[in-house]
Amino acid sequence: MSFQPTIVAFLCNWCSYTGADLAGTSRLQYADNIRIIRVMCSGRIEPTFILKSLREGADGVLICGCHPGDCHYHEGNYKCLRRFKLLQKYTEQLGIHQDRLRLEWISASEGKQFAELVDEMSETITKLGPNTMTEEMNREFKIADYD
Amino acid sequence: MKELRIGVYVCWCGTNISKMVDVENASELAKDLPGVVVSKDYKYMCSDPGQETIINDIKEHDLNRIVVAACSPRIHEATFRKAIEKAGLNQYMLEIANIREHVSWVHTDKERASQKAHALIAAAVTRVKYHESLEKRYVDINPASLVMGGGISGMSAALLLAEAGKQVYLAEKEGSLGGITKELDLTFPYLHNARQLISELEYKVLNHDKIEVLFNTEIKDISGYVGNFETQLNGGNKEIKFGHIVVATGLKPFDASRIPDYGYGKLPDVVTAIEFEAMLQSGNIFTTSGEEPKKIAVIHCVGSRNELYNEYCSRTCCLTALKYVNQIKSAIPDADVFDIYADLRSFGKGCEELYNTTAALEKVVFLNYDQRGELPIITETNNKDYKLSINFREQLSNVDVEVPADLVILMTGMSAQDDAKKVSHAAGVSLCGNDFFIEKHPKLDPVATTTDGVFIVGSCQGPKDIPDSISQARAAVARILATLATGTKAVEVTTAQVNEEMCCGCQTCIAVCPYTAISFIEEKKVSEVNEILCKGCGTCGSTCPTGAITSKHFTDQQILSQIEGLLKKEKEEIV
Repeated sequence: MSFQPTIVAFLCNWCSYTGADLAGTSRLQYADNIRIIRVMCSGRIEPTFILKSLREGADGVLICGCHPGDCHYHEGNYKCLRRFKLLQKYTEQLGIHQDRLRLEWISASEGKQFAELVDEMSETITKLGPNTMTEEMNREFKIADYD
Repeated sequence: MKELRIGVYVCWCGTNISKMVDVENASELAKDLPGVVVSKDYKYMCSDPGQETIINDIKEHDLNRIVVAACSPRIHEATFRKAIEKAGLNQYMLEIANIREHVSWVHTDKERASQKAHALIAAAVTRVKYHESLEKRYVDINPASLVMGGGISGMSAALLLAEAGKQVYLAEKEGSLGGITKELDLTFPYLHNARQLISELEYKVLNHDKIEVLFNTEIKDISGYVGNFETQLNGGNKEIKFGHIVVATGLKPFDASRIPDYGYGKLPDVVTAIEFEAMLQSGNIFTTSGEEPKKIAVIHCVGSRNELYNEYCSRTCCLTALKYVNQIKSAIPDADVFDIYADLRSFGKGCEELYNTTAALEKVVFLNYDQRGELPIITETNNKDYKLSINFREQLSNVDVEVPADLVILMTGMSAQDDAKKVSHAAGVSLCGNDFFIEKHPKLDPVATTTDGVFIVGSCQGPKDIPDSISQARAAVARILATLATGTKAVEVTTAQVNEEMCCGCQTCIAVCPYTAISFIEEKKVSEVNEILCKGCGTCGSTCPTGAITSKHFTDQQILSQIEGLLKKEKEEIV
């Protein structure tokens, strides 16, 4: 069977999670590679979550927050954006292609956009192939026994 | 930690989930997850018997954590929280796995959908292990309310609150009350007088000692939280405090000049519905040349149901158009009236009857056009018999027609107000795609919003008629009075907390908090969170370099373990 990626998505409760719910209520179909974790605000997301996801075997990580200016908590999404830009540079140095991480703004009414985003990202990650970071680390440092 | 005893409950939701997720297998597989002692599936988990099962199991099996795999937590998290509380378990010992909106309703491969559902359940199970009991905090509620908007919805809400003995601040950005309704002549379907309706309401509102009307007032920034809001008026000269907010900012008619085909603003005697109401109110239907029109056309769906303008239906225009046909015929019995419609939506009490009566009138012709296709084009004629002609393809006969008219009435739809974004920021409500305000749930909670204590009523929530606007206003008031009757309000406790021993005093958390809820304790050189002001966004938690800040219910441990559970199978494949 051809490679099916697993993408972990962090969605903020007020906008993007609601947008994803709307995609569901509208019965929009999208790629089943995505698994969603809810946070209250995209500002809650720290680099550890993304790194952990990649370490545990995720092939891609998606973060969605409210559109700039619309954050339910005023500015959390801006903080997320700053961290994300820095993280992308950092993970590239770890050998993670920057397209494996993605940050998008999805509002509560953008169910269609969410579905399209998932399909798009799923296609991108499929082309990139599996994330071999952990395998390579295990091989390199022989720490498989300690996991 | 005391022995983990998790109960997993997988809902079928009838066929909504079970059609695309193997729910029986999911509950079977869950039995093997660490800490799970009970795992069941049931047709409707949220039903009374469903909830009873959970409650009984908690008592019988001494469960201390519950996972429910069902619809979005935004629908029933509160339901299941209440249920487990009944069984004596703290309501935060619950985690919901969304396997309906995020799985069964959006995927087509049952095997893969079931695998995904299992991963989400596993994630919930690993997360719930680290949940902690949190006690609800109760705050006092200011019995006063702020109503934003003095139209029919706002005034109805204000009056009902005042009659219940509560103080109301009614803020109106214009210099007079009445909103759009004061511009109407008669209402459908019974042709009651709108001005009478509004002026009665206005009189009571202006004369009620519990209502303070604030004319020419735009509300800028509201701070606080449910039960305890405050705002500055007039650039800081006056401060008002209130416990609830009712947003009733109304609508703006669609700008017909955006549609070039109709020539609004360029051609004489092409008027909008509101402009026609003014004519009706004055008692004279005249063209710009000062004569009584002999041929009048009404065009439906102006700016509505067309992806170039607004995609939605504006709900009231068809009935208003039928109202106009009747009023025109009453004023000018010999006139030729052409009703150019796309569909005729005359639902509601007395409305089908209005349609039938109108259709039976003499010299009234109904012509059908496709509002998604090429729109009718209005042009000036040189013909001395009629000034304007409307050309379009009549759909039922499939013939290109030319309709003569001395006066054309455009049934412009309802749009959101221009300042919707400003109001949304001030009141803390969100907008949907068309700039109307978004309700908490379209079916189960149409007047509440996701911001506790803030309600949206009337056409600012979406196009609607007068009865529905008033119903919504009263519904919001009922909700407010219910809260006021209990005296206190429970507020969210998923706030942040600083572990003083780990805090290094860098104050970065203070810099990032949007609510200035964190302060620095000079003597101890550590930060402290004011949990009343904290809204639980978690930004400080993710910023803290030492990990001293715990974002309750969204802790690092909880989320990291959720990630682990989510990717368990992927991890196993990495050797």
